[in-house]
Amino acid sequence: MRCGAAIVAVVIALGVSGVGTYRLAPAAESARWREIAWPFPRDGWPSGRAFRCDGACAGTELYVRAKRGFCNCDRGVADDDEVDRVADIDLISPRFAAVAPGEEVGLGEMRGRARRYDLDLSDGARHAAIGIAVSRRCDLFVAAAQGRGEASAVQRAALAFLETPEMKVWATAALDGE
Amino acid sequence: MFRCVLTAAGLVLFACSTAAHAQKQTIGAPPEASNMKLVGTNDLQARSAYQPTIHHQGDRWIAYIGHHGGTDDVPAPVNPMTGQAEPNGTSIVDVTDPARPKYLRHLPGQEGKYESGGAQMVRVCDGKSLPKGDPNAVYMLRTFGSEAHEIWNVADPANPVLITRIGGLKDTHKSWWECDTGVAFLVSGAPDWRTRRMTQIYDLSDPAHPQKIRDFGLPGQEPGSTGAVPTELHGPISTGPNGNRVFFGYGTNKGGILQIVDREKLLSGPKEPTPDNLRFPEISRMPMSAFNGAHTTFPMLDMPVAEFAEDKDGKTRDIVMIVDEAILNECGEARQMVWFADVTTETRPMMISSYTVPEASGQFCQRGGRFGSHSSNESMAPVYYKKMAFIAFFNAGVRALDIRDPYHPKEVGYFIPAITKATDKRCIPIEGGERCKVAIQTNNVETDDRGYIYIVDRANTGLHILELTGPARAAAGLPRT
Repeated sequence: MRCGAAIVAVVIALGVSGVGTYRLAPAAESARWREIAWPFPRDGWPSGRAFRCDGACAGTELYVRAKRGFCNCDRGVADDDEVDRVADIDLISPRFAAVAPGEEVGLGEMRGRARRYDLDLSDGARHAAIGIAVSRRCDLFVAAAQGRGEASAVQRAALAFLETPEMKVWATAALDGE
Repeated sequence: MFRCVLTAAGLVLFACSTAAHAQKQTIGAPPEASNMKLVGTNDLQARSAYQPTIHHQGDRWIAYIGHHGGTDDVPAPVNPMTGQAEPNGTSIVDVTDPARPKYLRHLPGQEGKYESGGAQMVRVCDGKSLPKGDPNAVYMLRTFGSEAHEIWNVADPANPVLITRIGGLKDTHKSWWECDTGVAFLVSGAPDWRTRRMTQIYDLSDPAHPQKIRDFGLPGQEPGSTGAVPTELHGPISTGPNGNRVFFGYGTNKGGILQIVDREKLLSGPKEPTPDNLRFPEISRMPMSAFNGAHTTFPMLDMPVAEFAEDKDGKTRDIVMIVDEAILNECGEARQMVWFADVTTETRPMMISSYTVPEASGQFCQRGGRFGSHSSNESMAPVYYKKMAFIAFFNAGVRALDIRDPYHPKEVGYFIPAITKATDKRCIPIEGGERCKVAIQTNNVETDDRGYIYIVDRANTGLHILELTGPARAAAGLPRT
């Protein structure tokens, strides 16, 4: 009986500690995303959600939000310049430079582009960053991620997290204005 | 007692539901109006309308009206004059008799739906006013969807003739054309710039032979730049060589900027688009709240302000009226409205007042479609200039503002057209689908030298020609009708 109670307590404790934590896959070195406060001052768009990665992509941060009515309804995210303009990289630092042409990406049924950047931060550090912008009709869903790791690893981890059911549900709700 | 409370609650709920219901527009219901009266209408072939320009041409008055692309349901409406399905372009309407507008011609535009097609913008100059124009010609400058600017000779407005085309663009928008010099500030998307919309300045004094002067934009938008990209241009308005200023409005419904530019330095300064060269002609810029954009930046310089008449300094003020554009249906964003900036001290512009339609006056957030401002009249004809401004306010129709004291603008009239069977629905996403409503969407407004007010509808309801009545007419100094 005492053992059973202990097991229940451990399960509850682990469950509670897992609130707000998203585990990508049961792999040995998985990426675990923990929600943190939105770190940027208010701007023209409602605040989104911010996450910090522990584990495989430790130190990487990801910022996501909907930008409703900000997209060409027919063409969607047409080119890399649009990713530069809308993906919120400038929230992290206004000093960024693309390191390569972007690539087409999809999140669920939404299509758009992702691009890699070098960021110069105010403390003199240089980070790799990823900007992602996908569209649903006239609305945008954008994500920016930064970290000390390789840009390609940051991008893989960010896209994998954005493809989780929890994030897809939230993205749909955000684009619906909820 | 309990029964009384229940009865009272029921009455309150009934009253509330009736009030809400009363705000929904229905076909056949009369327009809503105060101090404005309907003179005439035209359905514009049920095409979604953008910019109207009214031109006095010989002894006729001609309205040139730009259109957005078609809709999902009707990508290319049938032109009853030709029997052909035509992509939305430019409507040309004889409004000499405003009570009986006569549709002359539909000039098709770029294929595509909504913002991706049509021929949304239009300006008109007489050949005799342009330095090198054909004196017998009347030139219409229009956008061709997102890909080009075109100039047509519309001396015979029913039979326009294409003169020239400036193409290869990734977007276009609300340009400005000085009819006395021919200098045109074309809102374009040059392919190598980092923004969808910037300025290409052309000498169009001889419309058959456009001469490029330079490209212009905010530093950070130019080719090869890195870092944050400033808000894209919406449109400029120039005061010409005499005023020597160009007022650029950047942003639509977010992060607006009013930029004041020295026209002479802009035209004759170094033209290579480097950050320094782009900064060279700028006098100042006024960032707005991130909540609002600058769709229209309408200058009204040297305005006498009665309240300041006895002051030793500052009796007259240079004012710029800034109009934001609402984008999202059913109030899905911060309110877009009208702002007045005092730019008398050009390097220290300051916002001094604002105006919005009170939402509760018509429960506009529940009516459907967009609620908020979009654009103002841009005519500087003496009949209304610096006295009265007209604001297109989507589902709240057009609003007449007495702006003689720009520190305290005052609404003196309004007109909300009735919807028709042509009025298109406007939808918002809801869980598992969308919900649609039908409401008027007054998109643009323009005035003519006679004082008629022309409003056009984004939701396909057509053109309505109005006149002021009562106190609003008196405020404008117009004779009684």
